[in-house]
Amino acid sequence: MWRFAIQNLVSRPLRSLLALAGLSVAIAGMVGLFSVAEGIDRMVKDTFGRIPGLAIMQAGAPLPLFSRIPASWAEEVAEIDGVGVVNPEVWSRVNLIEGERVIAPPRFLFGTSIAERQKLKKDVYRDALVEGRFLDQTDRHQLHTVISRQIAEEHEVGIGDQLSINGDEFTIVGIYHCGQLMLDISIIVDIDVVRRLTRFEPNSASAFYVEPDGTVENEVLAERIREKFRGREITSGGNIVGAMATGNPLIDLLLAIQNWLAGATPAAESRAVDAKAEPIEVRTSDDWAERLDEFSADLDVFLGVMTSIGVLIAVLSIINTMLMSVTERIIDFGILKANGWSRRDVMMLITCESAVLGVTGGVIGCTVGLVGTEFINTTWPDRIQLYASPGLLIFALFFSAMLGITSGLYPAFWAMRLSPMEAIRRG
Amino acid sequence: MTQTSPVYSIEIEDLTKEFTIGPTTVRALRGVTARIVDGSFQFVLGPSGSGKSTLLYLLGALDRPSGGSITIDGRLINELSREEQDEFRRTEVGFVFQSFNLLGNLTALDNVLAPFLPIGVSGELRQRAEDLLVHVGLGDRQRHRPAELSGGEQQRVAIARALLKRPKLVLADEPTGELDHRTGAEVMGYLRDLRDELGTTVVVVTHDESYIEPGDATLRLRDGQVVSD
Repeated sequence: MWRFAIQNLVSRPLRSLLALAGLSVAIAGMVGLFSVAEGIDRMVKDTFGRIPGLAIMQAGAPLPLFSRIPASWAEEVAEIDGVGVVNPEVWSRVNLIEGERVIAPPRFLFGTSIAERQKLKKDVYRDALVEGRFLDQTDRHQLHTVISRQIAEEHEVGIGDQLSINGDEFTIVGIYHCGQLMLDISIIVDIDVVRRLTRFEPNSASAFYVEPDGTVENEVLAERIREKFRGREITSGGNIVGAMATGNPLIDLLLAIQNWLAGATPAAESRAVDAKAEPIEVRTSDDWAERLDEFSADLDVFLGVMTSIGVLIAVLSIINTMLMSVTERIIDFGILKANGWSRRDVMMLITCESAVLGVTGGVIGCTVGLVGTEFINTTWPDRIQLYASPGLLIFALFFSAMLGITSGLYPAFWAMRLSPMEAIRRG
Repeated sequence: MTQTSPVYSIEIEDLTKEFTIGPTTVRALRGVTARIVDGSFQFVLGPSGSGKSTLLYLLGALDRPSGGSITIDGRLINELSREEQDEFRRTEVGFVFQSFNLLGNLTALDNVLAPFLPIGVSGELRQRAEDLLVHVGLGDRQRHRPAELSGGEQQRVAIARALLKRPKLVLADEPTGELDHRTGAEVMGYLRDLRDELGTTVVVVTHDESYIEPGDATLRLRDGQVVSD
């Protein structure tokens, strides 16, 4: 039966190839689109898997870039049982590198307290150093930086070279390579330098990175930190646009509106208010992953809609192909029925043919999708990371086979009901 | 249920068949009653539109009559379930059509084996199919597709296909209609050999009476009715 089905497809090569092409494109598109979500998912897991500590940010801030907390809270955090190191961070978007506007991929000035950072047992950037050295006490208040290999290669600079960032000349002392989009975007500089250059309030920080001392679980420690600051309020610093300028006019405008609505005050400071108020968020790597999973889920919906369009076209293509094929072979089916083929046999033959189309289209589509994602990853390694997992490929193959079979059901049903006598008379 | 007759293998009783084409009802058969002797070479004669082919298709359970009955070896064919009809056609009836009706994308050998493709083709069955093609003079044409065969050769493939199941009944609808007389005679010869060797009942619909030989049975139809037998 299968051999007969394949022979039937091969005997109509052009039509079969067109149906295959339609299905393959749809499946390749599905693999490609969902590899975006899977790429993000893998990137998130990999990135946060390398950061074992906790991040403390202003409540409601989606990223450290949009967060302001009093710098003095770092000392209070450090006193909490279970806290090993507290490293204040200041984040700011880079607008210009070497005089060129930075659009995508984004680059961020990552101000870190050098003294505290040196105490970290595990530092994702220091551990990923591939050239030069990491920042040390000699780099305090200096325009010295550690950049990613991506940035170094993009601007063809190396250790000892100068790199113009937002118009300021930085000396490169080290180059790291994490191999992750979310990590290799940082230009690491002394925290006070970032504050000064970005006019960030001296008494504020974007976030604290907390390295636990290992005596308690992260969740327990997170709750202890929340408890410590519960009931306090943060009032963000004065001209927030000037202080938090992200380089993105839209985001800057939204931030300005947010601060105006909140009645912004000139300095980031704390004061006691509602006893249940949560001024900060303490996030573990799992929290980050969950938050990005929510984003990924929304993306999946969008990708699902896009894929559905492609799949619908493929389904119509196969139905059309099989219907035309069935119409052409009405006499054949009459002959087969006259020779004892049952309605079920005829239906099975057509279903086999559409299943062959489905499986073959799935294999081709998965292969094209996989090669496509690898090509994109290789061509734009610093812009996008796609990932077509074995699970996705198996699902796509299975989906394609099911698609082929179900698309062939209507033509098969139609052929099954044909009167053999009528069919033979046509011959 | 009609009782089985030891003499007649096929009993046709008051058979009617109507087709509805749009608002028009066409009465293709109007009360045909006939008996076909077991192992006979039966011709069904008549002009175009007389209902010959319709009768043949009803005998082969390709369609159901509007009225009356067909009994073959004691079984009421028109009351068989769809599955039983399929089985009847697959194992007991061989069809030979005017237009040869081979599957264009299969070889001659695969066309002979076509009835058995759904249930699987054993080595023994394949060997029998090859032997049958040799028997009808197509031993060297087994791998050829219908388009590469002449009309006579295609009809011989169709006969081999009908013979493979060692049928009790062969129904031939104008089997020589598209062949020259010499080739038509050859084809008719194969059908006679089949009757002689296996005792198969052969029913041939034709309007060419030149193939009728002494001893053959005839049934004449006109306007869906028997005019003589």
